[in-house]
Amino acid sequence: IRGQVLDDRGDPIPGASILKVGTTSGTVTDLDGYFTISVSPGDQLRVSFVGYQTSIITVGSESSIVVNLVSEITSLGEVIVVGYGTATKKELTGAVSQVKGDDVARMNMPRVDQALQGKLSGVTITTNSGAPGATSNIRIRGLGTFGNNNPLILVDGVIFDAAGLNSLNPNDIESINVLKDGTAGIYGVRAANGVIIIETKKGSLNSKASVELSGYYGVQETARKLNLLNAREYAILKNESFAAGGMEPPFNNVNLGSGTDWQNEVFETAPIQEYNLTVTGGSEKTSYSIGGSYFGQQGIVGGPKSNFERYNARLNFVTELAPKVKLTSVFLYTHEQASGIAQGGIGSVLFNTINAYPTEPVFVGDRFSYLENVADIINPLAQIENTFNETFVNKIVGKEEITYNINQHFSLNGRAGYNFALVDGKSFSPLAWFGPGKFANTARNENLDPVLVDVGGTLIERGASVFENRDSFLDYNLETFLNYERRFQDIHRVKGTLGLSYFGNRNLGLNGTAFNIPNNDPAFADISANQAPGGFLNQTGSFQTRQRLVSSFIRGEYELKGRYMFSAILRRDGSTNFGPNNRIGYFPSVSAGWVISDEDFFGSNAVDFMKLRASFGVSGNDQIGLFRYRGLMNGLARYVFNDFIVNGAAIGATSNPDLKWETTLQTNIGLDFTLFRAIDFTANYFIKDTRDLLFQPAVSALLGSYGPGGSPPVINAGNVTNQGIELEIGYGTSKPQGVNFRVDYNFTYLKNRVTKVPEGLDFIPGAAFSVGGNVATRFQEGFPIGYFIGFQTDGIWQSQEEIASSPFVQPDARPGDLRFVDANGDGIINFSDDSDRTFIGSPIPDFIMGLNLSVDYKGFDFSANVYAAIGQEIIRNYERQQPFANQLAYNVNRWTGPGTSNDIPRLTTGQTRNTVFSDFFVEDGSFVRLRNVQLGYTLPEQISGKIGIRAMRFYVAANNLITLTKYMGFDPDVGSGNPLFAGVDNGIFPQARVIMGGLNFRF
Amino acid sequence: CDQWLDIEPEYAQDAENFFNTEEDFQRAVIGVYDLMQTNYLQIWIGEIASDNSIAGGESVNDTQGLHEIDNMVHGGVNNELRDVMRFNYSGIARANFIFENQDKLDFPAKERLLAEVSFIRAYFYFTLVNYFGDMPLIVDRRISINEVTQVERTPKEQIYAQIEQDLDRAIEVLPWTNPEVGRITKGAAMALKGKVLLYQQKFSEAAQVLDELITTNQAGYALFTDMNNMWLAINQNTSEDVFTIQHSGLQGGDYGCLVCLQGNPAPGFHAIRNYVGPLYGDGNSYNLPTQNLYDFFGNDPRREVTILDLEAFIAAQPNPSDISFAIGGGGHTGYYNNKYIKRNDERGLPDDDLTSPLNYRAIRFADVLLMAAEAFAQTGNDSRARTELNKVRQRAGVPDITSSGTQLLEDIYSERRLELSGEGYRFWDLVRTGKAAEAISGFQVGKHELFPIPQVEIDLAGGRWSQNPGY
Repeated sequence: IRGQVLDDRGDPIPGASILKVGTTSGTVTDLDGYFTISVSPGDQLRVSFVGYQTSIITVGSESSIVVNLVSEITSLGEVIVVGYGTATKKELTGAVSQVKGDDVARMNMPRVDQALQGKLSGVTITTNSGAPGATSNIRIRGLGTFGNNNPLILVDGVIFDAAGLNSLNPNDIESINVLKDGTAGIYGVRAANGVIIIETKKGSLNSKASVELSGYYGVQETARKLNLLNAREYAILKNESFAAGGMEPPFNNVNLGSGTDWQNEVFETAPIQEYNLTVTGGSEKTSYSIGGSYFGQQGIVGGPKSNFERYNARLNFVTELAPKVKLTSVFLYTHEQASGIAQGGIGSVLFNTINAYPTEPVFVGDRFSYLENVADIINPLAQIENTFNETFVNKIVGKEEITYNINQHFSLNGRAGYNFALVDGKSFSPLAWFGPGKFANTARNENLDPVLVDVGGTLIERGASVFENRDSFLDYNLETFLNYERRFQDIHRVKGTLGLSYFGNRNLGLNGTAFNIPNNDPAFADISANQAPGGFLNQTGSFQTRQRLVSSFIRGEYELKGRYMFSAILRRDGSTNFGPNNRIGYFPSVSAGWVISDEDFFGSNAVDFMKLRASFGVSGNDQIGLFRYRGLMNGLARYVFNDFIVNGAAIGATSNPDLKWETTLQTNIGLDFTLFRAIDFTANYFIKDTRDLLFQPAVSALLGSYGPGGSPPVINAGNVTNQGIELEIGYGTSKPQGVNFRVDYNFTYLKNRVTKVPEGLDFIPGAAFSVGGNVATRFQEGFPIGYFIGFQTDGIWQSQEEIASSPFVQPDARPGDLRFVDANGDGIINFSDDSDRTFIGSPIPDFIMGLNLSVDYKGFDFSANVYAAIGQEIIRNYERQQPFANQLAYNVNRWTGPGTSNDIPRLTTGQTRNTVFSDFFVEDGSFVRLRNVQLGYTLPEQISGKIGIRAMRFYVAANNLITLTKYMGFDPDVGSGNPLFAGVDNGIFPQARVIMGGLNFRF
Repeated sequence: CDQWLDIEPEYAQDAENFFNTEEDFQRAVIGVYDLMQTNYLQIWIGEIASDNSIAGGESVNDTQGLHEIDNMVHGGVNNELRDVMRFNYSGIARANFIFENQDKLDFPAKERLLAEVSFIRAYFYFTLVNYFGDMPLIVDRRISINEVTQVERTPKEQIYAQIEQDLDRAIEVLPWTNPEVGRITKGAAMALKGKVLLYQQKFSEAAQVLDELITTNQAGYALFTDMNNMWLAINQNTSEDVFTIQHSGLQGGDYGCLVCLQGNPAPGFHAIRNYVGPLYGDGNSYNLPTQNLYDFFGNDPRREVTILDLEAFIAAQPNPSDISFAIGGGGHTGYYNNKYIKRNDERGLPDDDLTSPLNYRAIRFADVLLMAAEAFAQTGNDSRARTELNKVRQRAGVPDITSSGTQLLEDIYSERRLELSGEGYRFWDLVRTGKAAEAISGFQVGKHELFPIPQVEIDLAGGRWSQNPGY
């Protein structure tokens, strides 16, 4: 009998085993799923394959049969993309996690990375900002370096940077595969931070065209507002604080009601929407997936001034050019339009909103109010009004890949990929007046008269200006690799990969600023419209960069009896980021797996499958910027002769010809098992040791690196260790009728420690606290990266007697002040050195968890995604220490006399140490968030089919519906691209709460 | 395929192959001049450390290093002192980079350029010696990252010798005047040499060089007659300017990089917090003159030139109630530095707190005369000392001094405070004349004459230097 084994989608299953029941005779299917076996009618065939439920067929008199295997609920048979090849979960020897496109799409998140939060163990996603189009930070297995911690991201084999993920439509994704351990070393010098391989949707052969149309529309609002003082509270507290500072209380009458709620004025509800059209299908030789989409999101702060829109067009097709020759063509065009408001720190809209005082109205007459009592805090609404910027991105990403199946064992691949983005930016700075003395003023006075600039004795008006830039970014790669696969006597299986790779990058930019735009009007905001006399003030600039990576790699895999697997990888990389001394690097890794459950001695019925894995590998990081090994005359050198600024030349970054890549050594031990054919369990333990960290540490002043435009050399120094445990548990049911549900839980425990800092340094300083304040975060041996250092507090000094009788001296302490801990026990709190400063928090969570749940019953479906990050701290750094700045409402419970408070210090405008960085400003940042919850209903096909629709689903969903946290700020999900600035909340633009409704159609 | 990795940076000049044309030299010299624009630190520390002013600012944590210096509790962790060390050595490295390559090319202007660079290097080393005492002397070459941990502190006498040698070269080569305003001239080099000698108590040599400057005076130095307006931007680069560090308001800037500024950040920092009113601009209320300084003037007309008494100023305006201002949490005296202060019509481009066009008069002719007076008085030439001293007093419209001997010396010291307060010299004058302990509360003799070397710099240099005494 000749037969074919197909999966539930009708695709052939190669390698399925066919056994005549009660005998030892059997066979396996070939690449197209076909098998031949001699049987007599009435014989039973047992057809099995990993990942599918075993089927027993009774043979009749037919000469050919088709066996359809139903996929197992467990994921062992899932195909994982591992770099220049694929493997099933059963075969894997490395630590790889995968998310399916459907799970990403269902989150209805604007960006792929946002959708990944809580989906994968070992992957930490933090948010830089909730503003439309803003980026997140993807960290795989912790922070491994002081510098660039971004993983290598490949979309269909094409390099994307983390920011560029904006151009991907989450609905276009087939799968996301994350290589977490040493086996990522197939990507060598770029693999130290892990590798994310995203595959976009492709069609399948011999399938009818399927048209999917989907869309949602939602309304966003802020999930939280800060609890700030109202006008009456403000007046009372300011009177008290001025009096305590020996100054005249400013308010004679404190009955001022609630006053202006600046947050209510600034936050708004804003729309978010997305519409997708996808057509997939395939003929005998060609399969295709074509799509188009629109996504639009406005900001909950700034509305249309804080906007992101994306238009996508996509064409993927796979076709057989000739027998054995297959072309895979991927093409994506994206157009993005974005605008944004000032965010993150002093001068940002939200910082101004928090610190604007409630006794000031929004408008005075027909102009915006000035908030004259505070320096450099401006009316946030005036700020939004005067913000004009737009960015347009046109991006083309694609790949052409030819696969030549030379014979049964060898296949040869050649591919060329490109990612080209043309970025046009324009920002208009109108003449604006925010009040006397405000830093943001661009006009000379309230009448919006331009500033006069004395150029060589002539006064020139400096009017409204426009900055325009056009930058292009091209990443391209050329790769070829030969794959070999062969089985010997059903016992041995050998696979090999041999390849060459070339990654290149070319970025170019031109920009210009033009002054005196007519009428102060954004409608004329173009360089061509400038009216600047003689062009004296106009400025231009340009840049060009390129870098290359030339690599070769080899991978060998051996599997014995389907039970014992070994794999070894060696990659050789040459990177232009290093000088001739250290240009070439070799990155080896080895891994092995043992399917214990296939051993004869393994007798458990409950455990269907169990595999032990181990890997060790070396990978690198060359992401340090270009030409840092040599000294270039790109420093700043400017001085003033004859009242004109003249330009000179100076060395920029100090050179280091011996610079080399960072090296990460990673050991991983993993265990996978399946219980009762339904519960999948994966556990990993890893130690990730990053050495020779690329640093630009402070160097001795003697080197002269601190002139303008200068910087220290990049050097290799310092080590970081990340250790962790990852668990993934999945359980699901799959019944044709009744209740089905699936639950996936993942857990990551991570411990991050700096184990070495550069010679001669105690630590590397990070973020500063408050205005002109001390450094609050550090990179220091024995502590997590970016830990917080400051004074520990121990309540409040209640009385003069308590201060007098204290065993230690706290200089200038007065009753009502924070009582600091004498950390070194020398009897004095020393404010001018580090002796009493100590560890008071870390921005790195102890553990993160994700819970994904879905249930369906009779057409109804429900899903939820919960994410938790526990054990991290956040620095509250959005309170401005100015006499008239508004304050958070916790100050209502301040100390006002003995016994009134032991937490919150007295208020005063006078000199006080209460504003020194201490744990008073550090909060528990743990949170649990219901990120997405969705309820849908699919019309029965009998009904929808009558109007020609194969499937029709309606749903309502909510993002960020509930967040449980003790944190006071807008949003506890506070991230930063720079690991030393993580966990410093400068008034983050919070992620919106979204309520939405959507429709999916399939024709 | 490895040859694909041999790519060069585009449109960029490499430091190791830079000096190929005269223009290259000219441009590198501008890079050395650039670092002199960090003089704001001199104005702050020279005043705040003394009895002349307090630190001020938004809070006691705002530029904490200055508050510690103000209270004489500064230690080995101090950002401002570290900046002093970093910026001056950066300037020195840029100068040494030129000397390292000086033989690569010959052209007519080379000697003059090298002499200018010599002067500026001397100025940087002089600053370092004053702050920290013995410091590593690195001359005519850059040092590598591997060498740093082997460099020792050089006794300050040797550094002074190098400073004098560099200044002698500048005096010899430089012209009295240069049509390009802002270039270092012979007069500047002579004035700085006089100052350097005075600080070393080499009074007769100081008298000699300062005398030569005053009597030869081919640049036409003179005291600017309109004393009340001499600190306005329109009265810059006048006959009184001997050694002036130039600034411009034509380039914007931000707080992220004060060393990048072409403007002078000190006037904006000194200005009145949230001030709304005539004449002055608003600023950060730093470096606030003390009551002690105010009282010291008595009725000397230079009080109003030097100090802005804000309440008095407001009361004298036509509509005082329209004027408003705020007080910073870092301290308030009611007084502001009236020489280097932001005025409404002297704003630079944004952020104009940072970009004042006001030059820093590192040595002006009045200072030359007072230094000469001091040198003459110290060497027994009282009559000549009185002559130079009284030139300054006559310009101020105050009676001549007729004292002699020790009293004359005291009068000269006192005159320096009257004439030069607010300009960043006071602390050094107190230290070098041995008067710091009586004038500055918290000043410990044997310790505070020098600032501590930033501890991190000791560590970065291998941890082998001993800290200055008492720290």
